[in-house]
Amino acid sequence: MAVTTSLPGTAEQGAPAGGTRGASPGSGSSPGVTRPSGPERDTRVRRTLYAVGGVLAALVFVVPLLLALVRAGQPGDVVVAAPDGRFLDLSWVNFRLILDQPEIWRGIVNSVVVSVSTAVLTAVLATLAGYGFAKFGFRGRGVLFGLVLVTLMVPFQAILTPLYLQMNAMRLTDSLLGLVLFYTTVNLPFCVFVMRNAFESVPGEIEDSAHVDGAGTLRMIVSVLRPLVLPGAATAALYAFLASWTEFLGALTFLTDSSLYTLPVSLVNLQQGAYGQVDFGLLAAGSVVAMIPCVVLYVALQRYYVAGLASGAVKG
Amino acid sequence: MSAARGTLTHPARTGLLLVAPAVAFVVVFVMVPLVSAVGISLTNLPLIGSWRFIGLENYASVLTDPTFWRAVGYTLLYTAIVTGPILLLGYALAVVVRANRRGATVLRTIFFVPYVIGLTTLSFLMLLEAQPDSGMVNVVLRGLGITDGSTAWLVDGPLASGLLCAMVIWAVSGLTMVLLMSGMQGIPREVYESAELDGATWWVRERTITVPLLRRTIAMTVVLSVIGSLLAFTQFYILTQGGPGSDTTTVVMAIYRRAFVQLQLGAATAMSLVLVVITGLVTAAQFWLLRERS
Repeated sequence: MAVTTSLPGTAEQGAPAGGTRGASPGSGSSPGVTRPSGPERDTRVRRTLYAVGGVLAALVFVVPLLLALVRAGQPGDVVVAAPDGRFLDLSWVNFRLILDQPEIWRGIVNSVVVSVSTAVLTAVLATLAGYGFAKFGFRGRGVLFGLVLVTLMVPFQAILTPLYLQMNAMRLTDSLLGLVLFYTTVNLPFCVFVMRNAFESVPGEIEDSAHVDGAGTLRMIVSVLRPLVLPGAATAALYAFLASWTEFLGALTFLTDSSLYTLPVSLVNLQQGAYGQVDFGLLAAGSVVAMIPCVVLYVALQRYYVAGLASGAVKG
Repeated sequence: MSAARGTLTHPARTGLLLVAPAVAFVVVFVMVPLVSAVGISLTNLPLIGSWRFIGLENYASVLTDPTFWRAVGYTLLYTAIVTGPILLLGYALAVVVRANRRGATVLRTIFFVPYVIGLTTLSFLMLLEAQPDSGMVNVVLRGLGITDGSTAWLVDGPLASGLLCAMVIWAVSGLTMVLLMSGMQGIPREVYESAELDGATWWVRERTITVPLLRRTIAMTVVLSVIGSLLAFTQFYILTQGGPGSDTTTVVMAIYRRAFVQLQLGAATAMSLVLVVITGLVTAAQFWLLRERS
């Protein structure tokens, strides 16, 4: 992550590279910046500048992550030694250590269970509520929707203690189910909002003709509207998965039984020496395990993710 | 479909049933705790054992507690340091990726990846790279001849804060980028064309067209990033545990400690409500400031 120190420089290189189109007459002296001239505005020089600036900026973001992969392949004693000839002697030894360390692989399993369950539950509840808020008229609709949205402004970090007591009273602390319910709540407001927007953009005629065919509410959602609102539901699920996969404070607070720890909490315990001598190679490998699903899911489904964020941004 | 009683195809009762589960979650896990927080903050509730009402004593003790104010001060300083750079870097990245050019899509993905990975995982990785001698931060600084490479970043308050700020700015600018980019792409091309004919420079066009049109989007990204900074916890917990001493203790960390280390839930809840008020005020103030400037 050493490259972070060069950030300001990158920003300077990046900005003009994207905006050189139509440079001022006054700046004509700087190399590569030419005045716009008809259809040939995007000159080869400018394209090259964009490519070079883009590659440099990309390196600042990618190199630290590649370094993480290298660290995960280094034995623990190489990770904590000044770089020498062994720096690129990579092996799978840390990942084998993960399999030998029940605290870590149990953390992985718990994280998968919690995040997948949260994603499914959030997507289902947000879809139902989004349909209800978008297409149905009922007394109190505005108030209830406002209630859901207001919770966007109540950060859970700020109600940690009463929430803990509440969950404790409901026997939901030290429980993966409790954590799933909590994460679902945290993600619901945004996802309900996204799903309501998704349903609102569905034309009423589609529903009308399905009603004529005798479709009930659930069949309406599952078979008639599914293709139209699936992108929204994918956004909700992805958003909830990523948020719960990396969530830390809630898991730290609500779980005290070490067999229930999620991956981030197991890694903190590993780092703080709760599992004996700290092995930094193991920590690097565990972090890479935490990192991979995020990167893969995001790269595969990014248009849903970005579209969801944008829909929240534009209308919020 | 705004009929308050529903219609034949969309009966009101079905609508209520559809929204009921989501509303129930929000009520049980947000509204009830929020309301009960007020009651709890008026007691001396320990984690285990009996409790009694003590009125405003918790507020009196929290508001006169120098450690709490130090945490508030540190959190505000941290927020003040990272907010500007996150906005500027996010804006610069958005300018790079908004164009419909070859490579822009790939860059968009790359710039956003650190945000998706999240500060939890990135903090573990930073922990490795901040070590004296072996960590890449030190290796690079020694290579550039800036330091001798033996800096112990995480045991020094200002150094640790600087490193944490740099990491956070790097990691979360991607979110600002995506939000601003969507806004920029929503501005019709024609708006820029007359300015271009007038020979307005890139900088002038950004300042006189893009920024004013994106005022609300910019306000929203700033609010999101400020709220995120005010609630910072994980990266500090992993990298410094709030130390050395309490030099890098944030408000959320102070609340967490008071509640689950010192087991004073009443006092911790009073601190939480102060935080709710602070975040609420910041949101309101920022929206007000940024709206007036038109």
